[in-house]
Amino acid sequence: MIFEFGLIFGSIPKMLTGLGLTLQLLLLSSFIGLVLAVITLLMRISGRWFLVAPAVVYIYIFRGTPILVQIFVIYYGLPQFEFIREGVFWPFLREPFWCCILALSLNAGAYVSEILRGGVLGVDKGAQEAASALGISKTQSFIYITTPIAIRLSLPAYSNDIISMTKATALASTVTLLDMTGVARTIVAQTFAPYEIFISAAIIYMVIAWMVQKGFGMLERRMSRYIKATR
Amino acid sequence: MSALAGWGDDYFWGAMVILRLFAVSLIIAVIIGLIGAAMKLSGNRLAQTIANAYTVIFRGTPELLVLLIVYFGAAVTLTAIVQSFDANVKFIDIPPFWAGAFAIALIVGAYMTETFRGAFLGVDSGHVEAARALGLSNFQTFVYVRIPQMWRLALPNFGNHMLSLMKDTALISVIGVEEIVFVAEMATTVTNKPFTMYIVVAFIYLCITTVITLAVMLLEKYANKHLVGGK
Repeated sequence: MIFEFGLIFGSIPKMLTGLGLTLQLLLLSSFIGLVLAVITLLMRISGRWFLVAPAVVYIYIFRGTPILVQIFVIYYGLPQFEFIREGVFWPFLREPFWCCILALSLNAGAYVSEILRGGVLGVDKGAQEAASALGISKTQSFIYITTPIAIRLSLPAYSNDIISMTKATALASTVTLLDMTGVARTIVAQTFAPYEIFISAAIIYMVIAWMVQKGFGMLERRMSRYIKATR
Repeated sequence: MSALAGWGDDYFWGAMVILRLFAVSLIIAVIIGLIGAAMKLSGNRLAQTIANAYTVIFRGTPELLVLLIVYFGAAVTLTAIVQSFDANVKFIDIPPFWAGAFAIALIVGAYMTETFRGAFLGVDSGHVEAARALGLSNFQTFVYVRIPQMWRLALPNFGNHMLSLMKDTALISVIGVEEIVFVAEMATTVTNKPFTMYIVVAFIYLCITTVITLAVMLLEKYANKHLVGGK
């Protein structure tokens, strides 16, 4: 058994066609996930039981089950129902791409809302007291004082979540999508050279994870620059 | 449970398979984590570099890809080795269960390494020095001073890693282990009720993760008993 480097270089262009799909899955689902997360967070901290309860149940279900199972329930499971197949969303739910987006977004929404909640709870009580002493309304204080601090506090955990999301997009290959892992699996099925192909795919994933980490690190340093200035 | 139409016992045995996989890979992951943490905390440059490379690689690669590399890589390597003795052999693979257990343990072990490293650093160095002064050997210090303190510090993160390990077990259906996702696939082809079958899988995972969460909560209560003030 020889490690064939020619195979690696030959397969990289094909793998990069899958990279586009991987990035699409990542960007689209992390954006939708973030929107869902903010809505869930607002429901969670609203203090009204009929808003808190659905948010808690949603988070509990999506954090307690594997993403693979969620993708299978949505992609293979939903067409069991007549009203889904007749419904307006069928053109979307028929496509494995949109099913993956749906599963990944719902998953990200649950995880990220917990991260954001940690950030909001981490904001110093004194800042809010100062705001109410200055006569700023609750809503204003949430938007102008709590939110910027909470965003900075939740950035490190959020960047970890984006990295987990990048890794989760590989699951799209289980529902016939040709993302990077999907392309790698088809090449391996033809050449039967698992080491060369899978390891080059793994390297591309690691580069993405590294870039995400560096990018968020820079953003965090920029957002914390006012803390350094006091030294 | 008439909706399950006689698949109940298959789900039960499938659940046994993932629980067994969970136990096996948890044990391997803890051992890897302890070794990794020891390497990172040792003064040896080479050991540190190896441990760092290990954690970077396995935290940046998708779980599915690691699983495929371990399973198909082991198969190709084994086949090549056996063929050099007996050219008639076409294909040999290691049992998918053990490939899965090892792959998942490698991934979770990387996270465990970081958790254990942090927990060992959290043990007050004064206690270790006191143990030295009392004439305890290195091994005794490790067992009687370091371990009883570090497991309390490691527990919250350890609980999260157990949950992600549990959810990673869903992946091994991809390499053909007969666990609950696999059972759901089989049941779907017979009953044509994919949603019912996959929701059962999600429900089983939700039950198991709930039990793990509760167990970790109880353990945390037990671990921090000494911190609660006397009543």
